[in-house]
Amino acid sequence: MAKRSLSGEPAHAPLHAIVIVMTLYTLYPILWVFCIAFSGRQSLAIADLPPAPGVLDRLRAVMPWPQQFSAANFVSVLTDQPFARWMLNSAIVSAATTVLGVSLACSAAYAFSRFKFPGRQPGMLLLLVSQMFPGTLTLIPLYIIVVQWLGLGSSMLGLVLVYGTTSIPFSVWMLKGYFDTIPKELEEAAMMEGASAGKIFWRIVMPLATPAIAITALFSFMTAWNEFIIAATLMDKELNYTAPVGLRFFVGGFQQQWGYFAAGSILVSVPVVLLFLYLQKYLVSGLTAGGVKG
Amino acid sequence: MKAASHRIRFLAGVALGTAVGLSLSWVLLRATRRDLAGERDRREAIISVQALADLLQKVGFSSTRVGQAVSAWQAQTPAGTVARIVAIAGAQLVASTDPADRGARETPRRLSREEKPLYDQGQRIRAAVATNRDEGGARKAEIEIDELASGSLALAAPVESGGTLSGFLAVQIPRTAQEPGGNGGLAALLLAAAIAVFAAFAWFVGERRLPLAAGATVCLAGALLVHANAAVRTVREELRAADEAVAAYATAQGRQAGEVLASLQVPVDPPLAPASWDTDEVRRPRRLIGEDGHPNEVALAGRVARASFEATRALFGVAAVSLLLLLVSGFGGFSRAGHELVEHRQAYLYIAPAMIGLLILVFFPFFYGITLSFTDSNLYNTNRSIAETWIGLRNYGDVLGDFGFIQRTQGGGFVINYLNFYWTLLFTILWTVSNVSFGVVVGLALALILNTRDLALRPVYRVLLILPWAMPNYITSLIWKGMFHQQFGVVNQFLGIFGISPIAWFETVGTSFFTAFPTNGWLSFPFMMVVSLGALQSIPAELYEAARVDGATRWQQFKAITLPSIRPALVPAIIISVVWTFNMFNVVYLVTAGEPGGSTEILITQAYKFAFQRYRYGYAAAYSTVIFFILLVYGVIQNRVSKATEAA
Repeated sequence: MAKRSLSGEPAHAPLHAIVIVMTLYTLYPILWVFCIAFSGRQSLAIADLPPAPGVLDRLRAVMPWPQQFSAANFVSVLTDQPFARWMLNSAIVSAATTVLGVSLACSAAYAFSRFKFPGRQPGMLLLLVSQMFPGTLTLIPLYIIVVQWLGLGSSMLGLVLVYGTTSIPFSVWMLKGYFDTIPKELEEAAMMEGASAGKIFWRIVMPLATPAIAITALFSFMTAWNEFIIAATLMDKELNYTAPVGLRFFVGGFQQQWGYFAAGSILVSVPVVLLFLYLQKYLVSGLTAGGVKG
Repeated sequence: MKAASHRIRFLAGVALGTAVGLSLSWVLLRATRRDLAGERDRREAIISVQALADLLQKVGFSSTRVGQAVSAWQAQTPAGTVARIVAIAGAQLVASTDPADRGARETPRRLSREEKPLYDQGQRIRAAVATNRDEGGARKAEIEIDELASGSLALAAPVESGGTLSGFLAVQIPRTAQEPGGNGGLAALLLAAAIAVFAAFAWFVGERRLPLAAGATVCLAGALLVHANAAVRTVREELRAADEAVAAYATAQGRQAGEVLASLQVPVDPPLAPASWDTDEVRRPRRLIGEDGHPNEVALAGRVARASFEATRALFGVAAVSLLLLLVSGFGGFSRAGHELVEHRQAYLYIAPAMIGLLILVFFPFFYGITLSFTDSNLYNTNRSIAETWIGLRNYGDVLGDFGFIQRTQGGGFVINYLNFYWTLLFTILWTVSNVSFGVVVGLALALILNTRDLALRPVYRVLLILPWAMPNYITSLIWKGMFHQQFGVVNQFLGIFGISPIAWFETVGTSFFTAFPTNGWLSFPFMMVVSLGALQSIPAELYEAARVDGATRWQQFKAITLPSIRPALVPAIIISVVWTFNMFNVVYLVTAGEPGGSTEILITQAYKFAFQRYRYGYAAAYSTVIFFILLVYGVIQNRVSKATEAA
């Protein structure tokens, strides 16, 4: 310890204490959901309190450990409710959104990064400003355009188009920032050898920009996977709901089926959390070299 | 590239501008004439229906003479008219002129199962009449009118006798008014004339830009004015013709009805008033034709004046567009733009798909929303056009001009009006500042700790602490809402351990805020942590070593090395998280839901509630536009400030 202090390194024990407190704060709600989901009941409470609860009873009621384990909530959610169908809808919509959003954003960001052309600066500025458009302002017009004009109400294509385009500005900013850090000389050398623009993009730029593209794809996917206001507005057939809209069903309005909600939450969260953790190694490089830099 | 001469450019400009202007004018004129023809058909159809309703009222609804009266009435209406008369009581089809209702389906009879839509229509009309009578207003259409695919009009109107609704009519009447022809011959002629006049003028003037521009403008304006003048004349004539035709139609209907009543020996008291049959859909007389069977000249003059005014307004719009095209073309704008487009075609090609998508689904909805903010659009007038509901800046005045968020009560105390814009703005600022500060402090602190070399379990902590970012935030919000439940939530159970009685979290402003705050803090600090960690890792270790050699304390190192090094990454992250927090819809909407009484609403959720719970679309759009400008101003100022400090 003494040696560490001399070298300017802080003592580790207090640091561990702080991090452990924060980790508990982080984990408790997640454990709580697991506990409710596996309790097999619809109640919000982890444990029932006796009429005159003592300190131990109360302590039991906040320990995130169910009184008995049961997978009944998961079984009901997947069989009695069309939740599997909603998950499938969400998966299709999110995958298509990611492909559409990332490919459009890649090609636009590449042009913004590599070419000098009139409208470049205003274009980037416009993309930035569009991030400030309040959703409440565009929701009614979006409904009119998608449902009444394009006739895509209750269709997954409509949702994909909306999510795909709304994710573009953020993606372009991030990708453009990252493309800027890739030296232009590589492409110029390839061009001298006679490679086409498409080939240069696919063979040289794309592999080098993997972190940024992975993060862009992740964010596009998460936008589509987690969104519920637009989906609830555009989708009016129950079978075409996405998972978030369906999940709101369980605890919105007059129903309080917390068990179903918790089980559904876990089913919805697990894929996106795994994807996030898998891609998180790119988070630092993708974010700091890219969009978040002015 | 050889530059085209000014004369050629302005000639092209005149041709383009005049062609576009005249086409727009022609399309507008045709749409107006089509509306007029449609209106005339609807008025005549309503007159027919009202005449029949009047007849039935006089003949007596259940009388056997109903059939006679209906067939006599039908002789007067256009060929192909079908009428069915339904009595509300007993769902009885009293009479029908539909050829299908012969033989086995002869009237009078009960409505059959497949005639349910007809029955429903009757119920709707009954409800509408009752509602309007109860409210003393005219909110719901009492006469339903639809255009069928076959081109006929389908109407349904109530029949009253003795002040009670006894039944209704469902009538189909073919449209008779001629679709306006309008071959656009005048427009073509004017276009040719404008081009010819300008060509002659340009030959005379030579390569001088300003005279050319002036001459071109005059030619264009002349052509548009002549066309607009002719259009107004046409509309005026057609308005008068329509009123005269409708008046004649009503007179003829009245005469026929009189004859029918005479032949059936029914006393006519009070006398028939054909002019009163010309009503709108809530059965209020339009008063466009007089008792004497001629158009009401005062009303007609008013309608002509309004049509002229609208034509003038349209002319200004059209002329502005045309003139813009003319001048851009004349001063070489298009040729330059085309040149740029060709030169940078690769860049534009790469951007085009994204831009087209953004234009349709991001920028267009935005401008549409801003347009809505100037209207009184709400649940009850969604089918009206924007021009009809236009109220200018009134919504903005209502949002921004109401400073009364503290109101005095009768007892002398004060209450806060939580629906007031300035209260919500204040709360939103408090919300944003507290949340972003929390995110930055916690995120930075954790990043500093996790950046400590050889700290045990570092990767494990990192993964666990990043989890909230990965969780869908609407799920997070609902989880926290569940945990703050008064009776069963774990937070109150936890407080119970220390003997604190359960808190009703959502019943006071302060406690309600403290449910949303930890929720948002929970899901927002990982972002700051990751950004800070990334920036910290890129600081060379030598800097710290050098500082230590110089005897700098850790606080001095933090201030002199760490903060300046991570600033470039931290400042944009703070800006973006301010925007995110300011508009953090999900957390506030799902956790506090504005409780109690809308006090913990932030601007974006308040705007949502104005739109989708109070259905004031126009007001909500103005509210949202204000939010946008607040963010825009914030962005501009922030940008200035950070640039200034960077330069310093």
